[in-house]
Amino acid sequence: MEKLLKELQHADLQRQTRRHFLQSCGFGLGALGLGSLLSSCGDSTAGTDISAENILAKIPQFAPKAKRVIYIHMAGAPSQLELFDYKPELVKYHGKDCPAEFLEGKKFAFIQGVPKMLGPQGKFAQYGQSGAWMSDYVPYLQTVADEITFVKSMHTDQFNHAPAQLLLHTGSARLGRPSLGAWAVYGLGSENKNLPGFIVLASGGRQPDAGKSVYGSGFLPSVYQGVQCRTGGDPVLYVTDPSGMNRNMRKQTIEAINEINRQTYEDVQDPEILTRISQYEMAFRMQMSVPEVMDVSKEPQFILDMYGVKPGEGTFAMNCLLARKLVENDVRFVQLFDWGWDGHGTSAGDNVEGGLRNKCQLSDKPIAALIQDLKMRGLLEETLIVWGAEFGRTPMQENRNGLVMPYMGRDHHLDAFTMWMAGGGVKKGYSHGETDELGYYGVKDRVHVHDLQATILHLMGFDHEKFTYPFQGRNFRLTDTEGKVVKQVIA
Amino acid sequence: MIYPLLQASGWALFIGRFHPVLVHLPIGFLLVAALLEIGRRTGKINVSESAVSFVLFWSAVGATFACIAGYLLSLGGGYDEELLGDHMWQGIGVAVFAWIAWLLKSDWTAWRIPFGPKIYLPALGLATLLTFTAGHDGGSLTHGEDYLTQYTPEPFRSLAGIPPAKEQTTEIKPIANVEQAVVYKDIVQPILEQRCVQCHNESKKKGDLRMDELALLVKGGEGGPAFVAGKSAESDMIKRCLLPESDDDHMPPKGKPQLSTEQIALLSWWIDQGAPADKKVSELKVSDQVKPALASLGTGSSSSGSTKSSKSAVLSLKVPAANEKDIEALRKAGLIVNSLAQDQNLIEVSAVNAPNFDDKQMALLAPLSEQIAWLKLGDTKITDAALKEIAKLKNLNKLHLEHTAVTDAGLANLKNLAYLEYINLVDTKVGDPGLKDVASMKGLKSVYVWQSAVTDSAVSQVSKQHPDLLIVSGFNEATVAQFLQAGDSTAQKKQ
Repeated sequence: MEKLLKELQHADLQRQTRRHFLQSCGFGLGALGLGSLLSSCGDSTAGTDISAENILAKIPQFAPKAKRVIYIHMAGAPSQLELFDYKPELVKYHGKDCPAEFLEGKKFAFIQGVPKMLGPQGKFAQYGQSGAWMSDYVPYLQTVADEITFVKSMHTDQFNHAPAQLLLHTGSARLGRPSLGAWAVYGLGSENKNLPGFIVLASGGRQPDAGKSVYGSGFLPSVYQGVQCRTGGDPVLYVTDPSGMNRNMRKQTIEAINEINRQTYEDVQDPEILTRISQYEMAFRMQMSVPEVMDVSKEPQFILDMYGVKPGEGTFAMNCLLARKLVENDVRFVQLFDWGWDGHGTSAGDNVEGGLRNKCQLSDKPIAALIQDLKMRGLLEETLIVWGAEFGRTPMQENRNGLVMPYMGRDHHLDAFTMWMAGGGVKKGYSHGETDELGYYGVKDRVHVHDLQATILHLMGFDHEKFTYPFQGRNFRLTDTEGKVVKQVIA
Repeated sequence: MIYPLLQASGWALFIGRFHPVLVHLPIGFLLVAALLEIGRRTGKINVSESAVSFVLFWSAVGATFACIAGYLLSLGGGYDEELLGDHMWQGIGVAVFAWIAWLLKSDWTAWRIPFGPKIYLPALGLATLLTFTAGHDGGSLTHGEDYLTQYTPEPFRSLAGIPPAKEQTTEIKPIANVEQAVVYKDIVQPILEQRCVQCHNESKKKGDLRMDELALLVKGGEGGPAFVAGKSAESDMIKRCLLPESDDDHMPPKGKPQLSTEQIALLSWWIDQGAPADKKVSELKVSDQVKPALASLGTGSSSSGSTKSSKSAVLSLKVPAANEKDIEALRKAGLIVNSLAQDQNLIEVSAVNAPNFDDKQMALLAPLSEQIAWLKLGDTKITDAALKEIAKLKNLNKLHLEHTAVTDAGLANLKNLAYLEYINLVDTKVGDPGLKDVASMKGLKSVYVWQSAVTDSAVSQVSKQHPDLLIVSGFNEATVAQFLQAGDSTAQKKQ
């Protein structure tokens, strides 16, 4: 016993390094001064009244058309020129030198010198009553063409994956801002008290390049961050009780911990402690609710067939089915990431003729099934599905290091790409914006990622210019100082 | 001789910007002098004449500096000339009369001036009076002429003869008959009013341009006429709208509400047609490009694509605010209660966290019968009895009854819900009679009957009778097989 105590004391001392000392001096003394200064300015307790059970909604500016969002992000960025943005003119240019005006003053991630143009690899036709252009890469999506609004004139500011993903999801290419899902839960609140309001599911073998920040809470209280669930095995690691510990004992443990945390909160008033308390409570409730909602074994066989999943596998298709189950249980924001869409043409896996086709085969059916499934449950009207990536791909073939690539690939492209939305208050069977005849640049109704964010917030009932959070002396918003709502896509 | 300070140089404007600061000193000082004089003369206070003279001296010095700074500020330009002239001479008057008053009060000079005591009071009075008028004009120059009285409440408003408060025109009213609309008056002018006139009007003419009348557009501003009749591509007002928003010359300036693509198309079209003052739409050549934009001006159509306005009628209803106690009672029962939107009192109620909610608890909803617009009772223990209560929620717009025990008998109660647009009957016992009942409701837009007892033949029959109603019956084993085949076959065909 004595030995144990000594060890504890020693460990404690080890933790008290010089750095800690300096840190607490600096922060501590500074904070003393600042605290008294700041206590008089503004409501310092704003947003501290949070517990996971009761993440209260703000009153939206307009009645929300989209009460929930499923955001499907194809990390790496699929080629719009193979899937949706049909450019017959590009066929004629295939193999020819890229026109000089496309290259003047432009920077690319990998393209150097004068690349060759690359014709579309998919076979295009029009589908549905709306006559939406789609390629043979997405045969199942063709069947739901009339549910979809395409935005073909997207553009962004960043041509590398991580900053572009951050810009798309947090409104800034730099770290530290809350993600779209965090804003959504901050605004509309969380409905199901047994599940987090913002759940993230990833597939494709890797996490998005920008890491957890793309679903982080930034400067919002961390209770609003996305909770990532695993698709196979335990949905949330360590959420199940170890053998020998029953639920009652677990409950008592958590209550004791929370009591200590509550006392600490009263001492130091750090709102993050409240978040910690609520996370413990949420985790306890999730022990029951998550395994139940993530269990697809009770789904009828024809539903499983529709998505093309087998219970127990951790695929994108499974994530689509889980997304449906989560929104069915009133989870506010479900974020899907699927990695592996970066078709540079360097290998058999990452090119636009074979690799992209394979990725589409794994994702096309479940996405179409998700739309159908939500529709027949009466959920599509209130659930916005957003599909897209951080940027698009060039109409030129990539020539990394000035070499001819072994496969057909395209470089990152920020001036034109396609995204689509369905359900949740957007038009059915509509296409917005156009690119030039080679698909290089948007020529009509260009939509910046900030405009997309403004539009999504609008559909959720929020005026992106008024929906703000005070931080470091100013009000921040998702769209920073930019963004215009694209009214034309709203039904 | 050159006076560098009197040119509109950086220095001149730097000093000029201190005018609003300096100007308040003589205002305060003069009023103090006047008050002291009144107090002294009425015998209320005991101050010496030299104290009054001291205050007057600094009033005069302050007024003089304020005049100099004010003149330098005016070199920057952009002010209403007439108003500026008035303000300047009144300001100079304040300084002059303040100096005169001081001269007549000062121990050194007062005795040398004949009739001094007789003109002292008028001089002080005039200086004080001019302070008020100059101050008012100065305020009008900075904030605009109607700044002071803009929010005058009734009845003082009509007593003072101020025109009724203008409602801010943020939305352009739809035109009943677009063909017969006068292009300039009914289409162009409202767009300009909405987006341009705020900064280009009688009292605030940015760039010396007014856009509130056609003749003034032709007259133009610093950059010449606002448009070239017949040539929209060469017209300044169109060119500026089409510049990237980040460009300094873009109009309206970054951050202000922008013209829509359709609005720019309409203005360009009007200019291309020679910018006529009184021609109607039907008298001009309507190009294909401008057709959708023109159509969007009409009543009942949105900008493009869909023809039906999707905003639910219920959202514009004005209902009284809900009683907090009633809402609290619902929350205690485990229901979520949220406001639909700001500026209105409709609420949504969801039982997602109350799976045991049952018929007995339905009474909790009764006091909120006007406010509840969206109601989610899916996956609860309610039965047909609950629908009798639901029928009393007269402003109900969306109703979730999925996975409950409701049947046709209960649905028959709902017929009079005029605002109901969405009803979810997935996985209920509702059958064909129930579908027919709800389909007869006029406002209904979508009904979901997947996994209910509704038959396919009833769905197709009701669909024919109500072509605008979306009836979704969804997949079963057979139709899923079709779905799978559809995707597979297109895939194989292409390969």
